[in-house]
Amino acid sequence: MKLITEKKPAFPWFGMDIGGTLVKLVYFEPVDITAEEEQEEVENLKSIRRYLTSNVAYGKTGVRDVHLELRNLTMCGRTGNLHFIRFPTQAMPRFIQMGRDKNFSSLHTTLCATGGGAYKFENDFRTMADLELLKLDELDCLIRGLLFVDRVGFNGHPECYYFQNPSDTQSCVKKPCTLDNPFPMLLVNIGSGVSILAVYSENNYKRVTGTSLGGGTFLGLCCLLTGCETFEEALEMASKGDSTNVDKLVKDIYGGDYERFGLQGSAVASSFGHMMSKEKRDSISKEDLARATLVTITNNIGSIARMCAVNEKIERVVFVGNFLRINTVSTKLLAYAMDFWSKGQLRALFLEHEGYFGAVGALMELLKTTEDP
Amino acid sequence: MAFNGHQRDDDAVDEDETPSKQPRSNKEMPGYFRNEPGSEAAAPAGRATPDRRSSNSTARHRSDSVKKTRPPFPWFGMDIGGTLVKLVYFEPKDITAEEEQEEVENLKSIRRYLTSNTAYGKTGIRDVHLELQDLTLCGRTGNLHFIRFPTHDLPAFLQMGRNKHFSSLHTTLCATGGGAYKFESDFRTMADLQLHKLDELDCLIRGVLYIDSVVSSGPSECYYFENPTDPDHCVQKPYTLENPYPLLLVNIGSGVSILAVYSENNYKRVTGTSLGGGTFLGLCCLLTGCSTFEEALEMASQGESTRVDKLVRDIYGGDYERFGLPGWAVASSFGNMMSKEKRESVSKEDLARATLVTITNNIGSITRMCALNENIERVVFVGNFLRVNTLSMKLLAYAMDYWSKGQLKALFLRHEGYFGAVGALLELLHPS
Repeated sequence: MKLITEKKPAFPWFGMDIGGTLVKLVYFEPVDITAEEEQEEVENLKSIRRYLTSNVAYGKTGVRDVHLELRNLTMCGRTGNLHFIRFPTQAMPRFIQMGRDKNFSSLHTTLCATGGGAYKFENDFRTMADLELLKLDELDCLIRGLLFVDRVGFNGHPECYYFQNPSDTQSCVKKPCTLDNPFPMLLVNIGSGVSILAVYSENNYKRVTGTSLGGGTFLGLCCLLTGCETFEEALEMASKGDSTNVDKLVKDIYGGDYERFGLQGSAVASSFGHMMSKEKRDSISKEDLARATLVTITNNIGSIARMCAVNEKIERVVFVGNFLRINTVSTKLLAYAMDFWSKGQLRALFLEHEGYFGAVGALMELLKTTEDP
Repeated sequence: MAFNGHQRDDDAVDEDETPSKQPRSNKEMPGYFRNEPGSEAAAPAGRATPDRRSSNSTARHRSDSVKKTRPPFPWFGMDIGGTLVKLVYFEPKDITAEEEQEEVENLKSIRRYLTSNTAYGKTGIRDVHLELQDLTLCGRTGNLHFIRFPTHDLPAFLQMGRNKHFSSLHTTLCATGGGAYKFESDFRTMADLQLHKLDELDCLIRGVLYIDSVVSSGPSECYYFENPTDPDHCVQKPYTLENPYPLLLVNIGSGVSILAVYSENNYKRVTGTSLGGGTFLGLCCLLTGCSTFEEALEMASQGESTRVDKLVRDIYGGDYERFGLPGWAVASSFGNMMSKEKRESVSKEDLARATLVTITNNIGSITRMCALNENIERVVFVGNFLRVNTLSMKLLAYAMDYWSKGQLKALFLRHEGYFGAVGALLELLHPS
């Protein structure tokens, strides 16, 4: 494939996605730096590179997801590693401060940013760190980033996976797959909130709908109901709870299945429906509440996704977004729900780099190139 | 022949009920109070078939030409839901002296108990404002009463049925809702009563179509909201459900069922959601310490959900123009609650409001998707989640209108959660 060379942007190469809850940052670390280049490299650029690549945690809340690193990637004629970093959007002021302290603006690099925060914090970047953001639409970036990572693969392994036998806890197994002929696909992005897109080609998609009951709802409700403070704590509690103590099931109302309309006794009729009873409230645990919150939010998303898939006549539903990070309970639930309620017509697919695609897409906009073979 | 027993009649079809809509009477009924536009005060009872005068005289208005098999009194329809039992009771007002004399004691006592009280035990309530007077059913004229109590108290109800020897009346008890199945054996063992079980959605539709057709004076059964977001100009307006089909019917009880109705006997359950009235109440109880639906609504009416929810403007700093999302739209329900500071700054009322708004908007959103897919423009919302819940009704009215750019219309019915029970009663009188 012919390499289309355009003017290469100056290092460092970042892509940024400033979401409602998390900032996702991808950083390309060149590993093919010549001795000459190294000598000419300005000090603050070197220091940024060292700071990012020799740490896996930054400040109190920044994290580099080392397991997601893409090694020996070629982008825009350079070879390097792609790093995936995240920190809470709440810590944005500190991040901007750091950019100012490291004289980031003197590097004259373009900072490509997407997500709502690219708009919300645009002024702060300018006034606090003298940085001009190149603002990009979050859904454009999401699709571009997703297709790119699926194409380059995950260090030789597939990026995409699904669950076989999702309804059978014993034999439920993760299986790799590729997004060959990915279109059309239904893309469900579960961040603080949810967007659902019907994607027909790389440049042809529409936002079908969304729901405000997303990852932020799960975390917010969990904090209120259980006293937990982080996503990880909430998931930990949920993994130990039993939502059927909290939810009113079809069998609690019917005494069994609601056969006429194919609703099994084990289906949830009314989420949190038992909690109107004081006795039941006194008898459940925080873990049960966390589990019920997770199940409720996840199933609602699954239900809406399924309706969209049916209406748009699309069989493949790809779920992304950081709600699914380390959240096997939800991924399996979604896999099961898609399969079960559609009687096997729909398939749920997942991607390893979950919530980072927007940031990757932003980086790609910076580079505006096709990948090397 | 027993006046309360079956009348052995010929097979002539009974035509003297469910009349086609009469023109609305402007006559003020004694004892009614005015329904102010937009107010939440109880509306006066509707009156059916205004041309028929009810009478305490011994004259009975049952037409002799109308003869059919009539079930013995009492006439009940019952809907045993996940949270509430809904009971409709037909109180005959055309009882002749002769009939009264022959009436067995427990039947008389049941009638008196039900009609001379508006509360039963600690939790039973008769919604007097919903009473339909001078209704003609199966050749008899009387009042239709609407009673509810928590499903939780069904055992007490069964005990009462047993104490009053209900089973000796040999009446069929038509019941729908999940509880008709769940409690079937309890009815049998505790009160020696056999339930005639009916599907809840069949009954719902039957009940809706019937009630809308007989309420012909007083406030319209069906209504919508004009200017739902403008508190100064928001007003309830009547709506005629003539040519009702196709209709999207959204039943919001403990959970939600969404039906596409093409004709009286042709409908499908499009989908449902488990985030319903039970979720609202359950979450409210947990988050605010309240214990009843009414308390939860009271709190919600005083709260501000935007402190709890993360809005589009909280993420974008303004609108998300590209996809037409205004800054005030909710991006993430309860999204601010992951922050400790914000958790400490919101009130219980704010939490109750956010719960209400979240559940309501989710239902609205799913409904809108269904309406779009089924190509239906009229959406009727029923179910007891909307009882005394103008906040949700207005939200739904607004959401349907706004997000569909005026294509969809949200409609509401006064008898909200009682249609299943009415449908069950109809099955008793006109077995399909």
